[in-house]
Amino acid sequence: MSHTVLICDDAIFMRTMLSDILQQAGFDVVGEAETGAQAVDRYRELRPDLVTMDIVMPDMGGIDAVREITRNDPGAKVLMCSAMGQQALVVEAIQAGAKDFVVKPFQPSRVLEAVQRVLG
Amino acid sequence: MDSARYRELFLTEARDHLVVINQALIALEHAPAEAATGAGRDSVDAIFRAVHTVKGMSGVMGYAAVGSLSHAMETLLSRVRAGEQALEGEHVTLLFDAADALEHAVEASATAQESALDVTSLVERLQGRERGAGPLARAADASRTLPPGDGIAVHVTLEPGTILPGARAQLVVARARALGAVTTVVPDEASMLGDDFDGCFAMRLVCDADDASVVAALRAAGFVHEARVVRDAPLRERSSSEGAPAERAAVPRSEAEAQFAATWGSEVLKAPLQRYVRIDLRRLDHLMTLVGELMIVRGRLAQRAATHDDPVLDEAVAEASRLIGELQDGVLGGRMVPVWQVFDRFPRVVRDAARALGKDVEFVIEGREIELDRSLLEQVADPLVHLLRNAIDHGIEAPDARLAAGKPAAGRLTLSATRERSAVVIRVRDDGRGVNRAKVLAKAKAMGLVDEERDALEDEEILRVISRAGFSTADRVTELSGRGVGIDAVLSRVRALGGMVDLKSFEGAGTAFSLRLPVTLAVIPALLARVGDESYALPLTHVTETLQLSRGVVRSVRGREVIVIREEVLPLLHLRDVVGLPGQATGRDASASHVVLLELAERRAGLVVDQLLGQEEIVVKPFDAVRGAASCFNGATITGDGSAALILEVSSLL
Repeated sequence: MSHTVLICDDAIFMRTMLSDILQQAGFDVVGEAETGAQAVDRYRELRPDLVTMDIVMPDMGGIDAVREITRNDPGAKVLMCSAMGQQALVVEAIQAGAKDFVVKPFQPSRVLEAVQRVLG
Repeated sequence: MDSARYRELFLTEARDHLVVINQALIALEHAPAEAATGAGRDSVDAIFRAVHTVKGMSGVMGYAAVGSLSHAMETLLSRVRAGEQALEGEHVTLLFDAADALEHAVEASATAQESALDVTSLVERLQGRERGAGPLARAADASRTLPPGDGIAVHVTLEPGTILPGARAQLVVARARALGAVTTVVPDEASMLGDDFDGCFAMRLVCDADDASVVAALRAAGFVHEARVVRDAPLRERSSSEGAPAERAAVPRSEAEAQFAATWGSEVLKAPLQRYVRIDLRRLDHLMTLVGELMIVRGRLAQRAATHDDPVLDEAVAEASRLIGELQDGVLGGRMVPVWQVFDRFPRVVRDAARALGKDVEFVIEGREIELDRSLLEQVADPLVHLLRNAIDHGIEAPDARLAAGKPAAGRLTLSATRERSAVVIRVRDDGRGVNRAKVLAKAKAMGLVDEERDALEDEEILRVISRAGFSTADRVTELSGRGVGIDAVLSRVRALGGMVDLKSFEGAGTAFSLRLPVTLAVIPALLARVGDESYALPLTHVTETLQLSRGVVRSVRGREVIVIREEVLPLLHLRDVVGLPGQATGRDASASHVVLLELAERRAGLVVDQLLGQEEIVVKPFDAVRGAASCFNGATITGDGSAALILEVSSLL
């Protein structure tokens, strides 16, 4: 059975892009969220195998969302999506429980490698 | 990858973000000093978020100019957010410039010209501000010696060219923590985040796992070139003091980001949740077409039902009719958007024009939530910009002139939208000097537009005069208006959309232009007329009056038929000839004919039809003209009785 994924990003553009990359690789995108708060709710509801999380989002940023998600589910597998020049934020996200990160602009191969590392 | 689809998404979303950026900048302009607190802080946040998203998207699309501009803006803003940079007026001006350049670059991307743009000077200016900020020393990672202690020493080297090596190193450390306790890491986290971190680090790990398992676990973090376990502690890492700390840039990016992270990461950012979805307009058009078809079927059903004496059938048909009506309303509603989607771009336009002209303008928007057909709203944006600029340039006086006239120094410019029955009225109103009637009259006489003996002009006449292409009372031509093209362009556009323009001016007290627009282009009020056995629809916005054709009014001037109405001579056209129906061209039974007076901009004409069928709201179905077919139609409709009627394109007749 294919792995389930929840995509969290406030830009439709990014969600579409990630969703296309992951679906083409055979993942099952079960949900999307456009705010950190939504991400937390959707995670609780969907329990996906993997979460991709944007860092900068309205209504609770991605880092707080990771913290909240891993607090509820220490086994949660969250992949951060970051822009260049956000290294400090990525580090904070890792400390909050994120398992890996990819940097925009997304290259499909990089995204899928990171996903594989996270899913182990 | 369907790149056109992404390009469209990018463009739509980036434009939305630019509106947000401009709005927030205007808010900031009024109180730059408050950038660190309250409302100012919200504005900075809003710009930051918008710029950030644009940057992310541009990266994927490979738009370098958009990317570097948004990155430079983001960096400056992140420093403001972190409290490292006070925001002053000049920064706001700079950000305005950057927003303009960004907009330009975003629009250029639509035509694939983005890559030709050079934004280096702006980027440098943005960075220059950044460099000019206070000095921020950073602790140097002088030593990478792993101090003695418990556990094994693990030395890791990341692959050359690893992206965000500091973050990657943290992932490696996190993997180590999953195995046991990590007591020491060198260099420290701040140094790893520095630009000059080379991907070599070491840590002490207390765990039970064997060396091979440790190495495998750490490698799984990705981008690990080498991981070595050394049980003889301590081991000196190679020294890495290639550059003296003092030579490093005064403001390492990492430092700014670390501080920024402290404020940003923990913050709950407020933004309204989206309650809208984007829909391709073509889908709605398709639905509209289907509803149109349904209405035809409804007509046929109703006719059929009328010939059968079946109450149950009648009731079912009546119910279906009601539902189809509601469906039509619903689909039309789907095309509606609130006017703020366009109006919210205007504060920036007004600000820029007022600045350029040295005017003080207070801009008020009313009726933001009024809804209009999306395509109509977009087409009316340019005319509104014309009118707003016109009001600031010609209407609103300079501050000292206003004070001398006993008015407040700041002029008031109001843009309002109101719903009036089946129309939406958009009004641009200023409290400036009003139209100089004497000057317009003199100019009109000079151009031979009105009789010499006239001593005053009605508002309607003034509008007609000033909308003559090339007419301008402005003695000077400014960059913004006064070229005498503005009002003319506004009138043609609004009329082409089936709307009307109305002027009210009070000398010394101001001017108001009202644009009366149909709520939607998909349904228009029309006059249905018949020639022979065929029905035609004439958009009511172009119909001024109808009258019986009596013999006395038709004359012939130089071989052409004309009609004389209230001493005005208008060309007379026969719809029968226009649409190419067979029939006599002259000697028709005049008493049975009607004349419809049509008006478009300055042009007027009479159109002879056999019969008037009445007024009806018609659903416009786009019309793909057959090659060689008459070009005087711009669509077709199905009338209430189920018959088809072609919609006449009035502009082609006049």
